[in-house]
Amino acid sequence: MIKPKRLLSLLLRFIAFGTTLAAVILMATSHEKGTFFAVSYEAKYTDTPAFKYFVIANAIVTVYGFLVLFLPPGSPIWRLVLALDLVFIMLLISSISAAMAIAQVGKNGNPRAAWLPVCGQITKFCNQVTGALVAGFIALITYIILLLYSIYNFLNPLFEKA
Amino acid sequence: MGLQNEEKLELGCSSSQQRSKKWVLLTVRVIAFLATATATLVMALNKETKTLVVAMVGSTPIKVTLTAKFQHTPAFVFFVIANGMASFHNLMMIMVELFGQKLDYKGLRLAMIAILDMTTVALISGGASAATFMAEVGKNGNSHARWNKICDKFETFCDRGGVAIIASSAGLILMLIITAMSIFKLLNKPKSVSS
Repeated sequence: MIKPKRLLSLLLRFIAFGTTLAAVILMATSHEKGTFFAVSYEAKYTDTPAFKYFVIANAIVTVYGFLVLFLPPGSPIWRLVLALDLVFIMLLISSISAAMAIAQVGKNGNPRAAWLPVCGQITKFCNQVTGALVAGFIALITYIILLLYSIYNFLNPLFEKA
Repeated sequence: MGLQNEEKLELGCSSSQQRSKKWVLLTVRVIAFLATATATLVMALNKETKTLVVAMVGSTPIKVTLTAKFQHTPAFVFFVIANGMASFHNLMMIMVELFGQKLDYKGLRLAMIAILDMTTVALISGGASAATFMAEVGKNGNSHARWNKICDKFETFCDRGGVAIIASSAGLILMLIITAMSIFKLLNKPKSVSS
């Protein structure tokens, strides 16, 4: 039968895969068209390189998460998975940080640089982007929990139990 | 008594190879500390004042003095704080390596160093990426959001910001190498002999 440790690890990896997938889908399908006093505007995620980077980074991590779900428990590739987990956590952090920086300017504007906040006109787009960022954040936290759990399991035999 | 045997085992294994590894790690830490400290200082002292002519009233120009400081952008503030904390972490690790060989807590010293190194990598990567994308918007503007670029007016500000971001990226790569080395040290530490 499946050991509880393996079940917990599998569950965490499934949650991580699901949330990265949700982040990608939410961000990629966010677009809004409208008219504002006879000026037609369109907001898509491709308008900002930060959001494009967010989609690409989360897509890479989704594919990785999907592949790792099918890894058999005893294989020696798990050491590589541990290292790759760290690399992908770094990728996730950088993508969320970048998207959040741009989203913050979009929501609050930057009066010193004469950049007006744009979320007032494109509320649906902004809400969906916020949802994508939240999903990305949950994915990041899940991956960090996974990494700590893997390190704990790996190091446990090395510790001298009193 | 068992602990003394373990210490002797560790010291006995410490060949010149392990000592040179220790010095390599220390050197890379010093370089990473210099990189992140440079990034912090250059961005923290990043300030440019410029007087622009806004309009002409008759024949007298109306001048406006504008200042560009790093505090205006939360992304740059995060960048400065993240690189500052990374420099502090590297400094602490160098001190512990040089002067605090006896510091240990239930045998968790190497694990703590590895985990702290990982969190520092995360911090630096977040700060560097946020600052990079904010700098990209400042340099190229964003036509869809009607955000004008500011780098053509505040060239020195943008240049210094770029230097800080490059230094931080170099520090990030070095921190990655350091983390890999710390994890390697952790996994290869001599296994304690249980009674």
